[in-house]
Amino acid sequence: MLRFVTQYFGFLKAVPGAALVFDAWLRIATLFTHPDVSGYIDSIEREVSGWDNICTGIHKYGGMRFNCAKHELGHIHSNGLLDMLFTREMKKQLMAADDRVTHHHVFKNTGWISFYIKTEADAAYAVNLLKMAYDGYKVKESVSACN
Amino acid sequence: MNRIFTPKVNGYLFSNAMGFAIIWLSKYLSGPSGNGVLIFSEFTIVPFLIGFISAWFWRNDKIDSMTLVSRCVLTCFIAIMLTVILFAEGIICLVIVSPLVWSFIVAGAFTGRAMFRHNNDTLNVSVVLALLVVFVIDSTSVHHYENMVADKIVINAPVSKVWKNVVAYKRNTSPDKYWLFKMGMPSPVESTTEGYYVGAKRKCIFSNGYVFDEKIVVYQENKNLTFDITEQPRDPEIMGHIDILRGQFLLQDNGNNTTTVIGNSWYRLYVFPVWYYDIWAKSITRNVHLRVMEHIKQISEVK
Repeated sequence: MLRFVTQYFGFLKAVPGAALVFDAWLRIATLFTHPDVSGYIDSIEREVSGWDNICTGIHKYGGMRFNCAKHELGHIHSNGLLDMLFTREMKKQLMAADDRVTHHHVFKNTGWISFYIKTEADAAYAVNLLKMAYDGYKVKESVSACN
Repeated sequence: MNRIFTPKVNGYLFSNAMGFAIIWLSKYLSGPSGNGVLIFSEFTIVPFLIGFISAWFWRNDKIDSMTLVSRCVLTCFIAIMLTVILFAEGIICLVIVSPLVWSFIVAGAFTGRAMFRHNNDTLNVSVVLALLVVFVIDSTSVHHYENMVADKIVINAPVSKVWKNVVAYKRNTSPDKYWLFKMGMPSPVESTTEGYYVGAKRKCIFSNGYVFDEKIVVYQENKNLTFDITEQPRDPEIMGHIDILRGQFLLQDNGNNTTTVIGNSWYRLYVFPVWYYDIWAKSITRNVHLRVMEHIKQISEVK
């Protein structure tokens, strides 16, 4: 459903609040179709929020956003779709290592990846991905602090 | 007292109280000039605010997403019940409006939950104020929306036979197929006319006894019957929120003893947002058409 809406109604994201409402519909639909997924999202949120300098918020296109200082680590749409930005090289490696990691559902030729959280194992892998990005930012921060 | 007014109860209570106070205020301010129009903010901004305010009361509760959605269901149910009591809305109206209200309450509650974690009062107050500004602008704007629905059916009977049944038809006793008609929404069952000429009065009678008074404005035998609706019942159900303005039957002789009948209806909506209610209006109008046209087909095809 998300793919269909972003493909044909993506222009509506410019309407203030439209993405929020769409995400609410996605959440409601997911609660009926995959009730476990919202629990997995909650557990990821609990886990990631506990890391230093992490804050959560609403993503501008709907879903929950995880920020490390001012950098976005990734965001999870309410149907369990995790979107994250890596370098293209890292994206290639991640996609080669695990076929659950795919091109971003909209921005294919970028460093963005998409990862569907459907099971507990997916949730654990999602936390790993976020940790990877988190550690990457921490390394960058320490390098820039040294310089 | 603190045992009763727990944050959980306050979330239900104060959010709805605030929501209904805003609606009442908007109705009071718009006065009779409001013309019974229900603006889009009442179905979007207000439920969003209800969810948002609930989330403020529940901000310290450690609740998961499923529980928050369940609480939104109850909040929505309270809002719907208050609508029944305060505004005497009908059940079918509420069935139609519930998905819209519920989704905006959910959107508001989750937005609130994410925002209230940061204790950024300036941002929180700004969001509420921005929503109220949108509400005021929407309340003071002109709302007018008219649309038309057209449907077509082919009848295996000559045009002269079909025409007779188009102008007036005997009582339709077949069971309703459309789910809203089955739920109790009145469906058209009979049409009568005082004559076959322009200016003649026509009546469309509905299953619950409602009568739409009509006047024939175009009468071209075997071709075009157009009528204006001069009087329609005011009912707490859907009929208070939509006016059928004009109806039309266009007949085309296909030359092979069959007739194509096109049914057109023009209506005006009094409920907004149009992107939501027009879907329902089209569906209902279409099913009114189909019920009438299928009945005309059935009685015209009898040998």
